[in-house]
Amino acid sequence: MSGSESTPGGVFLVSVVGQIEKAHFPNYDNMYCKYTFVYGPDWEIVTGIEEGISQIAQKSQDERQQVVWNFPLDVSFKSSNPYGWPQLIISVYGLDTFGNDVVRGYGVCHLPVVNGQSSEEMIMFVPESSSTLQKLTSWLTGKRPEYVDARILARGDGREVTRVRSQGCVWINFNVVFKDFHHYGFENDNNS
Amino acid sequence: MAELFIIGQLCSAEEFPSKSLFCKWSVHAGNNWKIISGHKEGQTQVDSPYYDSRTWWCHPIDIHFASKGIQGWPKFHVQVYHYDSYGRSEIYGYGFCYVPTTPGTHTVDCHTWRPIGNLRDEFRRFFLGGGAQLKSPDFVYCGTDRYRLHTESLGKVRFRLNVIARNFRHYGVEL
Repeated sequence: MSGSESTPGGVFLVSVVGQIEKAHFPNYDNMYCKYTFVYGPDWEIVTGIEEGISQIAQKSQDERQQVVWNFPLDVSFKSSNPYGWPQLIISVYGLDTFGNDVVRGYGVCHLPVVNGQSSEEMIMFVPESSSTLQKLTSWLTGKRPEYVDARILARGDGREVTRVRSQGCVWINFNVVFKDFHHYGFENDNNS
Repeated sequence: MAELFIIGQLCSAEEFPSKSLFCKWSVHAGNNWKIISGHKEGQTQVDSPYYDSRTWWCHPIDIHFASKGIQGWPKFHVQVYHYDSYGRSEIYGYGFCYVPTTPGTHTVDCHTWRPIGNLRDEFRRFFLGGGAQLKSPDFVYCGTDRYRLHTESLGKVRFRLNVIARNFRHYGVEL
């Protein structure tokens, strides 16, 4: 790492390529996903797309019962401070029997903090009605509870009032490359 | 000053007697440590799992510490509560765990326990819920008065923590 030219202002770069591979939801089919990145005030996207939406995928017709999206992620960030490390939020939607778009799960994870290849198993959950009366009205109207803004999941506060039900899982694959991270004195486990 | 970044999630809980759980967490560090940014405590969502046997919280943790000395290395302190079908919450377990001192990615399991009272208290708890609670949470992370407690062992809480250190080596501290 030594000998590399220093970036002005102590800025390091984190580049992430990967894919949202597949999902497993035992009870649902015909689903698509949306992703978005949430990051702290010192962070900025250099290249890549902040949000995306996948195709509608049907389950595999075998015992695996997996929904494959094979959806690409390719984004680069710059920052001077690891605080506010980018988080990936995925929301999965599917069509119910009446053709309405219904949320099937929300999930959140941090981007890897260590460079190299890694995979993430992201558990997906949906908010639940807090009272029996609301459960009844949501059943009658077909409108299920969902987050107004899924970015609340990336925050450490404001989630204590929610009741959720975890009901699926999404697999994500990441490859992370750093630039100048060690140069500015930051140590994760692979420094040399 | 040396800096320490703790980035990760309070992921899940497992092996508790029932599944509908939430957790109150806080981070504690000695006088040499100062939080520059990030929340030092929080409360998770209540999850009723249908996917697997674990309760999932997926609660983000992102804390930036500045340190003048390594005494009082930061630790997490958790209180797991059970949220029952009547909307009551009762304490299920206390526990603490240290933030790993090695930079990198770690899975940290925090095993929990709860104090038990005498036979009458436990009888009451069996039918009515509730049960004995710690009067002061110091017992959880301080070892001096623990010998007076009688406890029941409960499940474990799982953290996924990424630790990034900065400038420790500069002061001769080897992590």
